[in-house]
Amino acid sequence: MPEITILKRPREEAVITQRMFFKKTARGKVIKVLRERYLRDDISCGIDGCRACDATAQTVLSRSGDTTHKNFPTGHYILPDTNVFLAQMDLIESNFFTPPIIILQTVMEEVRHRSLPLYSRLKALTTTDERKVWVFYNEFRSETAIVREDGETPNDRNDRGIRKAAEWYNTHLTLAHPPIRGQSNSALPKVVLITDDYANRQKADKDKIPCISVRNYVDGMKNSDQLLDLLSATGSDEVEPTRAVAGRTALYDDYLPMSTLVAGVKAGQLYQGHFNANQYNYLEGTVPVPAFTKPILLVGRENMNRAVQGDVVVVEVFDEREWKAPTDEVIDQEATLKNDDAEDSEEEGDDMMVHEHESKALRAEHTKKAPTEKQPTGRVVGIIKRNWRAYVCHIDSTSLTSSNATSLGLQTVFATPVSRLLPRIRLRTRQAPSLIGNKILVTIDRWDITSRYPEGHFVRTLGKAESKEAEQESLLLEFEVPYRPFGKAILDCLPPEGEQWVVPPKSTASPEWRDRADLRDLIICSIDPPGCQDIDDALHARRLTNGNIEAGVHIADVSHFVHPETAMDNEAAARGSTVYLVDKRIDMLPALLGTNLCSLRPHVERLAFSVIWEMTVDAEIVDVRFTKSVIASKAAFEYGEAQLRKDDPKLNDNLTQSVRLLNSLAQKLKAKRMAAGALNLASPEVKIHLDSSESSDPVDVEQKALHETNSLVEEFMLLANTSVAKKTQESFPQTSVLRRHLPPPPTNFEKLQDILLKRKGLKLDVSSSGALADSLDKCLDPKEPAFNTLVRIMATRCMLSAEYFSSGSVSRDTFGHYGLASPIYTHFTSPIRRYADVLVHRQLAAAIGYTPLHPSLHSKMHVERIMEVVNRRHRMAQMAGRASVEFYVGLALKGRNEREKEVTEDAFVIRTFRNGLGVFVSKLGLEGLVMFKRDTQFDAENYTISVPSSDIGRPDVTISVFDKVTVRIEVEKDKNTQRGRVKMTLVSPVDSRAL
Amino acid sequence: MASISKAEKAYIQSSLLSDPPLRADGRGLIDFRTIALESGIAPIANGSARVSIGKNAQDGGGGTEVVAAAKLEVESVGDGEDWTSCNDSSPTAYPLLSPNALDDLQHDMTSVLNATLSHPTIRPKNLGILPGRKSWLLNLDVIVFSDAGNIFDAIFMAARAALWDTKVPRTKSVQYRAKKGDRSDATQAMDMDVDETAHVGSALDTRQTIQVTDFELPDYWDEGEPLDGRQTWPVCLTLNLLPTLHFLDSTLQEEASVPLKLLVFYSFPLDATPMLRGMRLLGTGVSDLVQVKSLLKDGEKYARNVWVALEGKLKDEDLRRNKKARERFLNR
Repeated sequence: MPEITILKRPREEAVITQRMFFKKTARGKVIKVLRERYLRDDISCGIDGCRACDATAQTVLSRSGDTTHKNFPTGHYILPDTNVFLAQMDLIESNFFTPPIIILQTVMEEVRHRSLPLYSRLKALTTTDERKVWVFYNEFRSETAIVREDGETPNDRNDRGIRKAAEWYNTHLTLAHPPIRGQSNSALPKVVLITDDYANRQKADKDKIPCISVRNYVDGMKNSDQLLDLLSATGSDEVEPTRAVAGRTALYDDYLPMSTLVAGVKAGQLYQGHFNANQYNYLEGTVPVPAFTKPILLVGRENMNRAVQGDVVVVEVFDEREWKAPTDEVIDQEATLKNDDAEDSEEEGDDMMVHEHESKALRAEHTKKAPTEKQPTGRVVGIIKRNWRAYVCHIDSTSLTSSNATSLGLQTVFATPVSRLLPRIRLRTRQAPSLIGNKILVTIDRWDITSRYPEGHFVRTLGKAESKEAEQESLLLEFEVPYRPFGKAILDCLPPEGEQWVVPPKSTASPEWRDRADLRDLIICSIDPPGCQDIDDALHARRLTNGNIEAGVHIADVSHFVHPETAMDNEAAARGSTVYLVDKRIDMLPALLGTNLCSLRPHVERLAFSVIWEMTVDAEIVDVRFTKSVIASKAAFEYGEAQLRKDDPKLNDNLTQSVRLLNSLAQKLKAKRMAAGALNLASPEVKIHLDSSESSDPVDVEQKALHETNSLVEEFMLLANTSVAKKTQESFPQTSVLRRHLPPPPTNFEKLQDILLKRKGLKLDVSSSGALADSLDKCLDPKEPAFNTLVRIMATRCMLSAEYFSSGSVSRDTFGHYGLASPIYTHFTSPIRRYADVLVHRQLAAAIGYTPLHPSLHSKMHVERIMEVVNRRHRMAQMAGRASVEFYVGLALKGRNEREKEVTEDAFVIRTFRNGLGVFVSKLGLEGLVMFKRDTQFDAENYTISVPSSDIGRPDVTISVFDKVTVRIEVEKDKNTQRGRVKMTLVSPVDSRAL
Repeated sequence: MASISKAEKAYIQSSLLSDPPLRADGRGLIDFRTIALESGIAPIANGSARVSIGKNAQDGGGGTEVVAAAKLEVESVGDGEDWTSCNDSSPTAYPLLSPNALDDLQHDMTSVLNATLSHPTIRPKNLGILPGRKSWLLNLDVIVFSDAGNIFDAIFMAARAALWDTKVPRTKSVQYRAKKGDRSDATQAMDMDVDETAHVGSALDTRQTIQVTDFELPDYWDEGEPLDGRQTWPVCLTLNLLPTLHFLDSTLQEEASVPLKLLVFYSFPLDATPMLRGMRLLGTGVSDLVQVKSLLKDGEKYARNVWVALEGKLKDEDLRRNKKARERFLNR
């Protein structure tokens, strides 16, 4: 029995025992918060075999510390200050950074206060097994606890606490290592305070606490070469605390303090939003804000004021007189800033030249534009939140100083991000020559007002550019897809039988069979795309004796295996969705579930969640019921296969009849849906043929074929989703997981309407989804069947994206799904690959009384938080998938170029610029730019440009939006960045190579 | 509040009038019982104090005990004029009273407290946060735990101590000043946060509209600056009038046997003449101007003693809770 003593504390000690602070709430109230503090003497120092501490306490740090650092031959532990974690987290996390670390509670709290993402990385660091990290609760150990002095700033107080703890540790070590006769005391290891705060170092020196700056520390480490590159740019200030910045001219305005920004936004004088860079013009960006129907346009460097794609920025809007239309020119960062030297721009020497270039680029005649096209303009006055992460980049080889291309000297180079939305990043590295031609990961550290480019540091190499592995990984990183393999804790959540798991024989005692309908005898089949391994839906239909038809959709019962608040559930929630790349699938759930236990394979018994309707022959729903079930699928078809079977008049077995029945119902359902105003949207979808799984060369690209059976499956899935949405919303009006598609604001269509009217004389009615569907049907060009698809694609781009939401979070009248013209909708049918569906399964199970609802799903906040993640992941997954296709299209084109000498394709003009055309190659699903070196006659009003004819003497050729042109497609490798890019040139009506 | 018989009343009156005057606990006429004061007893409040008069030194029982706590809340107000005080006598102090009578009594006490403390002339000057938009609303809660006579003196002492102890969190007003005019002055330094006291420089520039919109707490650990008006919160002195003489610090029985009480509220600013903040006559007896005049003179004298003693103790308490506690912590 441990002895329990109660320490009673007199009230007089309130100053010591109570920690008081004020907090300002979001509503502007001020709350006084009081925390009790109990000081104790039994908090262990965490060093092995320490005699002074409790012997039973857990220890992490080795007895002699780390002896490999040249400044500390007797061994040492490091005790980093807060600024080290704030600025140098990459260094600390590196696998080469091995010294034992003592993290103080004060430091942890300060990091949390300053940056939550860094705090969670720090937390992760303390829990990894391979690192020697000890968290010391210095505020609770009586010797190291401190009380704030009168007039001491919080920062000073924390610094003092950190120094106090460092001092205590060093004296404590002498107790832990009592002097042994014959050995001098100098053999003791030291606890070294690492800080980049000059003042703190000075004070520590005065108190004789060993301390060192990060850079000096890393310099003395045995693998300093690898580690020095990881130092972030902020760490570069050396002994002198203030660098002479004054001499350099500021290129940007300073940001306003955060509190001012918040005040301004609250008062409605400033606007907050996400910064979107313009991918065609690096000197332009937009910020959509609710206050204006059109996004705020930011023109030029000064107005974008160091905002990077994705940052949450605060914008000041200019006077209405200064409102402009966006430029109609393509401005390429690489072309414009080709001569900018990385080393030199430290001085910003050729400032004038760059300035001239850019201002020329910006000097588009906005005034000529029709006033309706004007957008509010503004400038960024502050950043609420940086969304900087690691970016995939190439080293710009021209930025290397040529003289030392092979040396290992430190040099400043440019890294060009793969994404066109990002600015070039300047970084200092010793490994520059070896990095050329590789894809590398670079993090932005800061962006000073005096520097044209953000500064960053090198994180790691992904591999040779254009190698499949590097491209694949860079793609996943670029879209922030979590792709690490599933950890042990997650795999432990799987059934222990593994691959051998089967549905147990039917018995009342078996938990699997509790409240489950036995549907094993039904003629159920699944219809999926070719090569599908994760079959999560299956269907059946049969005639009932009363003349009606029973149709059922059976979805894999994932919620039977994935329970709330388990490691697997958390991981799935974080991943949000399975990501499909051309050559790889990043699973949301471990493969055992996805491709086996939850996959509704034919001829095996599987657990399912069934939605069963009774319908009339005209597909009117008479009744619907939901039940957990056990099914045994009779067949797994591919779309084409099912189609053949349905159309084969010789076949007349039960299965075929079932498919035909389903098909007839689906057609009626679709007709009804269309009548209700559902949209038939189009997006370019192409399929990549891979030769074999080993060979990397894609053989061909073709457009996806659509069978009638595709639509069959789709209709029933839509119906199931709608029925389930109604049910869960009734049962859980506050927290049910739903999906909606908001109607797009009519202004989104203005441009498309204008183009259609001027070029084709067609009217687009966007007053409702039904009207839009009708007018889209009328957008026909008898000579050009693909024209309709093109308009659909362009209309789709004008719309908002669908999103998941929690039913209690938005008003009831915004539940509708615009595209599907359904008043309520959710996702229920793919729980293997979408997390939202897993939640919906849980809610439906609770709605039918199968299981109680997990408390977390009763919390509106919790559901909202998950929805936010899932929405983002969903978007990212789509973008990653698309980018993967694009990469392979590029590879395929390269292959074709080699074989065929010249690849030419038909393309549609979708945008006109002053100096180029945006074209869409529908056969390849590829969008590209045709650039002209010379200015052309550009008519922005009518969306046409006139280019000189290739034959001298002939009149100019006019090209306008929706014209069909022929383009030559080449894949050229950018000399500087090794970035393969598709280059398009016009073949007809004119050859643009001459232009 | 004690109801006593006529005989008891006569007995107490005659002994008070005898020469030398006799009181049940042996005190002189102008002697106080022992007063105990402790400040900072409610850590979550912005200022607080407990006062007990005549507590039994041996068992800690008996006596009049009053706790006062001041709480500051952010309020959006038009002119930021009002601040409230509230007096709540807990039923345990007066177990014999009916709820209605308790309400009445409470109202009596609150009205006296309010009329004196909420007077516009002694409104603290540092309660503003954003001029015209936001200010601190000061709530003073006074709870009577037990009443053994001389309740008003105790209430005002506790109130003064709590207000003296009150610290106003420091705030910094934040604003966004829209920049008008052409873009050429973009490089001009923009001073965006302007302290309330510091925006003098730009008075000539009429193009700039100054609008303070929000505030922040520059130092979340700091209790803040003392509430303005330490010199003005008055003390109360109750003169119990028995024709021909007056005495102080009455017990319940004594209170019940005098026909008239005079409450005087005095404050003694350091550099100014004593201020009479108010007075009240309570009871059924009568008095005249001449008598009141002489009583006021005496009252001022007694009140000054109370003031000085309270001031000393409050400073002592402050020291005990901060500096000494820290020193003890360092030397442990």
